[in-house]
Amino acid sequence: MPDGKGGYFERLERTRVWRSVFRSGTGSSTLHRALAIQQNLFLHLFSTKVRRRMLGFRATWYLGALTLGTFFILVITGILLMLYYHPSVPQAYADVKDLKFVVSSGMFLRNLHRWSAHAMVLLVFAHMFRVFYRGAYRPPREFNWVIGVILLLITLLLSYTGYLLPWDQLAFWAITVGSNISSAVPVFGDKARFLMLGGHQVNANALLRFYVLHCVILPLAAVLFVAVHMWRIRKDGGLYVRQSEPARESEPQPEVPATDNKEVLVGKR
Amino acid sequence: MKSMKARLISFSRALVRDPIRTFGMVSFLLLVALAIAPAKDHFSEWRHYQQQYLRLIHDRGDAVTLQRHFQGGIRQIWLPDLGVVDRCQSCHTGLDEASLVDVSTQPFRRHPPIPHRLDEFGCVVCHRGQGAATTVAEAHHSTLAREEPLLPARYIEASCGQCHHVALPGTPKLNEGRELLARYGCVRCHSIKLPDSSTMTATDQPPPLTHIGDKTSREWIYAWLKDPASYAASATMPNFQLSDADARDISAFLIANSEPLPADIVPVAATKSSSAPDPAAGSSLYGESFCASCHAVQNAAGNLVGGDLGPELTRVGSKVKPEWLQAWLRDPRTYDSHTLMPRYRWTEPQLTLMNAYVQSKTDPDLMANVHLDPATSEQIAHGKALVTEYGCAVCHEIRGIQKPENFAPELSRIGSKPLAQLVFISGMQQTLPDYIAAKIHRPRAFGTALRMPQYTFSAEQVDALTTALLSYTDRSFTLPTRLQIPSPSIATYQPAGHAGKLMTELNCFACHRINGRGGDMAPDLTWEGTAVQRQWLDDFLKNPNTLRPALIRRMPKFNLSDSDRAVLTDYFMTVYQTADIDRDSMPLSGYSTALVEQGRQLFYSKYSCQSCHMVNAAQDKGYIGPPLTQVGSRLTAPWIFHWLKNPQALRPGTIEPNQNMSDEDAGALTAFLMAQKTSPTREAKR
Amino acid sequence: MTEPKDFVAGVGSDIRKSQKRVLFVTRRTSAQVKVSDEEQVQTFPEGLLRIALAIEILAIALVLISLFFNAPLEGIADPTNTPNPAKAPWYFLGLQEMLHYFPPVVAGVLIPTVLVVALVVIPYFNVNIEADGLFLKNRRRRLSIFYVAALGFSLFLWFFDVYVALVPTLIVAAFMLIAAFSSPHSSSRSRRYLASKPVSWWVMTWFLFELIVLTIVGTFFRGPGWSWVLPWRG
Repeated sequence: MPDGKGGYFERLERTRVWRSVFRSGTGSSTLHRALAIQQNLFLHLFSTKVRRRMLGFRATWYLGALTLGTFFILVITGILLMLYYHPSVPQAYADVKDLKFVVSSGMFLRNLHRWSAHAMVLLVFAHMFRVFYRGAYRPPREFNWVIGVILLLITLLLSYTGYLLPWDQLAFWAITVGSNISSAVPVFGDKARFLMLGGHQVNANALLRFYVLHCVILPLAAVLFVAVHMWRIRKDGGLYVRQSEPARESEPQPEVPATDNKEVLVGKR
Repeated sequence: MKSMKARLISFSRALVRDPIRTFGMVSFLLLVALAIAPAKDHFSEWRHYQQQYLRLIHDRGDAVTLQRHFQGGIRQIWLPDLGVVDRCQSCHTGLDEASLVDVSTQPFRRHPPIPHRLDEFGCVVCHRGQGAATTVAEAHHSTLAREEPLLPARYIEASCGQCHHVALPGTPKLNEGRELLARYGCVRCHSIKLPDSSTMTATDQPPPLTHIGDKTSREWIYAWLKDPASYAASATMPNFQLSDADARDISAFLIANSEPLPADIVPVAATKSSSAPDPAAGSSLYGESFCASCHAVQNAAGNLVGGDLGPELTRVGSKVKPEWLQAWLRDPRTYDSHTLMPRYRWTEPQLTLMNAYVQSKTDPDLMANVHLDPATSEQIAHGKALVTEYGCAVCHEIRGIQKPENFAPELSRIGSKPLAQLVFISGMQQTLPDYIAAKIHRPRAFGTALRMPQYTFSAEQVDALTTALLSYTDRSFTLPTRLQIPSPSIATYQPAGHAGKLMTELNCFACHRINGRGGDMAPDLTWEGTAVQRQWLDDFLKNPNTLRPALIRRMPKFNLSDSDRAVLTDYFMTVYQTADIDRDSMPLSGYSTALVEQGRQLFYSKYSCQSCHMVNAAQDKGYIGPPLTQVGSRLTAPWIFHWLKNPQALRPGTIEPNQNMSDEDAGALTAFLMAQKTSPTREAKR
Repeated sequence: MTEPKDFVAGVGSDIRKSQKRVLFVTRRTSAQVKVSDEEQVQTFPEGLLRIALAIEILAIALVLISLFFNAPLEGIADPTNTPNPAKAPWYFLGLQEMLHYFPPVVAGVLIPTVLVVALVVIPYFNVNIEADGLFLKNRRRRLSIFYVAALGFSLFLWFFDVYVALVPTLIVAAFMLIAAFSSPHSSSRSRRYLASKPVSWWVMTWFLFELIVLTIVGTFFRGPGWSWVLPWRG
């Protein structure tokens, strides 16, 4: 133990560099913790406090958070996959084969990306229905519901555009079936399809368009709308509480202590 | 036990005692889970095989060399222009190691010697399979779109055929298959386009049926249609498995549709000579004319004896009408302008003799059970419909029926047909080779409504055909230019003038090749004028005594008139010359005895020519090459000289070895061989 | 009554030690402001830690799935070789199922558009905000509307042979019927539960049910030519 002034971590926290980055200070007081949220560009989307009962699993099933989690996983694995992938025909397919056969853990990366994508679509749907059945769409949260619907569409589009990228039979025909539907739109259906595919059928142009949509445009849109979505939770009064569910009179739950007064917690338990 | 449980519970409680600790625990678990992926990578199949290989070579005498050659990790052959990314050598590590000849366990067996380098062609170009894969199952057995499972080794010659469209000495099965495709007329219905945009041509000779009524009877047609093999075991006509009624109606239509030949060609009244011709004389004429060079006859043992260029004649007497046969023998081209049958210049008595002899080859059983009532017009109409339906006109010229185009599926890329496009019958192996073989073996098993007829191929022939068909792949059309082998253009060479007309009539090209056109049954005559002496050629045309008496197929005697013979001989001597050899640069005779003796020594001792050739018929035993007893009267000295120097230059593919003779040795041998003249006694005999 | 002020100013301090919150509540503010004594905790670290935990557990699950189940990869795309059936991604299979019954302009354009619009406008209609049981107010009128709607829709689906969608519709309708003849005072708990559900709940439940059924049918029960197949048979 270095000179009794706390561990290395505490010493690190006191350094000038650390303080320049995290301005909320080192303490574990409520003020510091509130500042930790408020003074962080990303975290300030959250409110500084949250009703304790909304933290329980039963309240939200964590569906929103889990959706965000799959998105994180997808961004990380997606970036790694991009390192091995060329959006061209037929190289795209060969690249996926290489991922499968020669890239170290390539198959695992692809699996994780694929299954996380499915999980995300599933979770988004689940989140939507959960919010509906909780009644959390009710005013004043109407607009956040609309943002949620937009995010649902973005998620579906992300999954759909990603579906084409392996350039296998599954991808090709799924996209062909899907894009054929759009030509049913009266008047400008064929034009829309042409715009989407960059041609009259699914080909190398479509692959490139889908790649750009999948890797740049849609993720950016998703990040933007997710930010608005979470910020609006705070602005609309925090996580929705059902009036009919009275707050459970609390058996006192300890707050998460900072590491230096761990003993208190142990004592309370 | 209970304390164990309690301890476990308290332990797990301690782990998740507070949120931070739980967070730490779960984070640790996540890291562990993430670490499994690279670990799993470490236990991949190819690493396992590489370790096995290292153990295998560890105890060998040449371990040091092998270990030095060994490269770990994934090894691949990358050939962008072939679309090849082959990682086969990641597991098949010892492919290149010549010293592993004794290792028989896969994947460490060494590759048998082939004319190509592995790193120039990769593996999948020949073996198929998925080269990019690094697992056994995916590399060997993948059947996804455009991915092919390994080609079974018995069909491996098909892979040579992707680039090589000319017969190679090393691919007998492929060559046989391709020959069968042509000989049985497969390519008449199923067109096969080659990468050089030429089309495979059939070599069978389906006769035109325009005048079939003059040639044969309706009963014979019926029997033939029902089962061609019962008439001729070697028939290339397949069995369409027609019902009795269908065969009856088709025969009715063919007879009714037949156009009678002009009376001056086929005399209506058969000239039956009152005195029965001598069968022995007929047989002798048949033999003398070497009909057996082209026509086979079943002998008592049931074996076919004779060539297969013309139809089998075992039961021909039951088929043809005598008056038609007489006309045919007189001049086959008036009936079929494309026939391979030469026009013999037989005299009228000889014609009658031959006719009677051929007519005597009958089979009373053939049509014993065929009783046909006179045809009705409905039957004829139905027969016409059937003829159209079964595509008879694809092969046979039939009056009033147009030759259908693309009658059956094109097979230009059959060797790459995806499994998804195949409809298998139950109980068969679901692979492309099995599908093709089954289709050839029993086409109608895939549906009785199919029109593909039943052939009588042996298992080996089915194998050969399958091999040939598997060679027509997508890859053969997408070869990079560096691998394209120009296929020889189909020669349309036609000699000029009266000699040309004679050569057409005699069908020289059926057996001989000249300037790239013609068959390969008899010697190439392109440079015959340089090779032989005029006198010998004239004598030979007059009375072809074959050079190789052991052969059944021989040059027939055409009974040419002296003037015709002179025209032909002159044409040969002047036209069929090579500019590389001056025919008159060496004399025909007059070599010094010393030189001849030196040549004899070389012949018998240095080069041991007698092991294949005979000079002294009483003494030498060489039967492989042609006898040289009279070679001095046959060949020109410069030809012999150049032949000795480099046989393959004069006749590519000849088995005569190139001995790299010095000019001196070749000159002495030439002198010795030129001394082998026709013996005076023989001359006198003639 | 005095003119109501445009805003109410208030000071709230529900926190033990830290900042005070100042609120401006105008009449136009839709947010409900309720002073609540409910116990609150700091988002950092209490909330974030739990979120991180949840995400980590999900990540572990996904990593394990990815270790043992490989993502599908078919042969290279081949425009000349149409697989039968050619299926869209699973989340569109409900639509593809509809495409089997209705012209593309209906199934491919009308239905999705209506769905998205319907989802978007949910919070803007009072009928969706209403929290009372469907049949507890205006019972007779609503019952007749329900009869007409359920019967009409079922006949419509029956007419187009959309049995796959008809069955869930009938099931939901049956439950609605039970709800219609139940009240908050019914003896059975489940009937009380059903009776308390508002119309938006019923519509959404019907939609969810259809979505699940159609997606499952499209994924597992459709074979060559979009014919009905049983997944456990070969």
